[in-house]
Amino acid sequence: MPNHTGSFRSRLSGELGIGVAFILEVLVFSFLSPYFFSADNLLNVTLQASITAIIAVGMTFVILTGGIDLSVGSLVAFAGIVTTSFLKLDAPAEVIFPAALLVGLLVGAGSGALAGVCMTRFNIAPFIVTLALMTIWRGAAFMYTEGRPIWELPEGFSVLGSGRLLGVPNPTIVMIVVFAAAHIVLKYTSFGRHVYAVGGNVEAARISGIDTRRVYVAVYSISGVLSALSGILLASRINSGQPNAGLMYELDVIAAVVVGGTSLNGGRGSVLGTFIGAMLIAVLRNGLNLLNVGSYVQQVVVGIVILLAVMLDQWRRR
Amino acid sequence: MQRLALVGVILVLSVVLFSSCNKGGNQQQTKVIGVALLTRGHIFYRDLEEGLMEEAKKNNYELIITSSEFDLGKQIAQIEDFISRKVDAIIICPVDSKGIGPGVRSANRANIPVFTADIAAQEGEVVSHIASDNVAGGRLAGEFLAKALNGKGNIAIINHPAVTSVLDRVQGFRDAIALYPDIKVVADVSGQGVRDRSLQATTDVLQAHPDLAGIFGINDDSALGALDAVQQFKRPGIVIVGYDATPPAVDAIMKETALKADVIQYPVKIGSSTIAMIRDHFAGIPVPPLVPVEVGIVDKAALNTPSSN
Repeated sequence: MPNHTGSFRSRLSGELGIGVAFILEVLVFSFLSPYFFSADNLLNVTLQASITAIIAVGMTFVILTGGIDLSVGSLVAFAGIVTTSFLKLDAPAEVIFPAALLVGLLVGAGSGALAGVCMTRFNIAPFIVTLALMTIWRGAAFMYTEGRPIWELPEGFSVLGSGRLLGVPNPTIVMIVVFAAAHIVLKYTSFGRHVYAVGGNVEAARISGIDTRRVYVAVYSISGVLSALSGILLASRINSGQPNAGLMYELDVIAAVVVGGTSLNGGRGSVLGTFIGAMLIAVLRNGLNLLNVGSYVQQVVVGIVILLAVMLDQWRRR
Repeated sequence: MQRLALVGVILVLSVVLFSSCNKGGNQQQTKVIGVALLTRGHIFYRDLEEGLMEEAKKNNYELIITSSEFDLGKQIAQIEDFISRKVDAIIICPVDSKGIGPGVRSANRANIPVFTADIAAQEGEVVSHIASDNVAGGRLAGEFLAKALNGKGNIAIINHPAVTSVLDRVQGFRDAIALYPDIKVVADVSGQGVRDRSLQATTDVLQAHPDLAGIFGINDDSALGALDAVQQFKRPGIVIVGYDATPPAVDAIMKETALKADVIQYPVKIGSSTIAMIRDHFAGIPVPPLVPVEVGIVDKAALNTPSSN
């Protein structure tokens, strides 16, 4: 945690620094494109960001403990496939809808718990465990579907991801709820304090009586459930289960968390920062698309922004 | 990571050794063909694979099918495995037309004939390249869209400018559109050829161009992602043309959505033609360096006519 409070550098870090950068970005795009600053487009940006932002909440928990979860993108595909194939079963809608959602979420939780157990019981590094799960779930999605999408889903399913409540897209609402809940958990519960403690110094945390194994299993389970939730929302938006959905999402998500000021070394960061980080990247992509900037250039620009954000953070901590 | 790589190499080697032991002496007559696919994650490639397998079965060839899932390094390693296994021919659907060069040249050095299907290799010696006529396909899509829009309006391309087959499609599409001075390509964005990214890219295009009249998706996942966006943002009157005529796209055309037509490739035929070229090559019959496989375009009317296929 920053201890030299009040200095210019520390104020420019974390949420405030990234918040200023975000506002600047919004101003620049409002100036450059007449279509950018409209309620319609801003809601559109939150909708675009929602899928990766929800996963980024789980990733924030994981990175706060000093870990990493590479399996999220593959879980998006696999959970989407599990849920959509459940939806195709011949059963009444009021039974099959909640069952399909529940099974999809359970797949995510199970994968996360498995990752946590592999790390704590067998002492395998998070990078390796989740790398393995990444290829396992992607392969499983291809195996099960034989590479073909699952489609012709029941009528009501697309409402989940494509519907709106009072004009606000459903995934945006889900995203806000998830962020609010995560913020409360991290700030005001003992579990939240344990997450920071484990990431700050795992030995100290253990000595002070925290069951560190449980914390690890819990954060990876949270990451898994939220990846699955995003996968289900995405499957609903594209009204199909696609084995190639969520390709490379892990990188988008890690970028959002890191740009949001959470340290890859653990112990420092917040979901508020992650929220702004995810929005910053979504606005960047949206703005560049509105300005019709080619896809090759966009990749370079996004990379530069990630670098700048992390450099700002490092400069602050020196 | 290094140790992981080492374990991987040992695994691959042991599998290769094991399978060659297993073969024994009883199958010496059977020709073995190594296949390095780009992916097994697209319907198109599943169908191509089916064509390969059907025709190989007829000719009693043994296929070793691998897929690199867009990973060039993995694909080159697969080709090297084929070479050490001394296969009789190699079929490649390259991840990258230029980057596959070293893999093709290794096979050339080992005197194993190389054939490419769907995507061409720009370096090394290839006996024959078998692929859809993608420029013609793009042109068909452009002509259909221009006619559907009565020769005027703003249009967008949901692109994936990383492989030559797609570059060819877009080239053909732009050639056809160029004949209509009142049609303007106002956006050319990448949806990376997958439905979720295409949905997002199209959403941005719809925001930037309230007057958008038409969209060309360079494959069906791109076109269906565009369709998702058009439907979710309730933009009537937009005409979408896709490419590949996969079952979900055909379904969307039949249901009279904004997706009005699809360029249809015949991937099964690409697969079977590739094996046929290899058979001719084995028999000493000269094969052409380029074998274009026909394409067509289908709309609802054509799909309702049974004779169209």
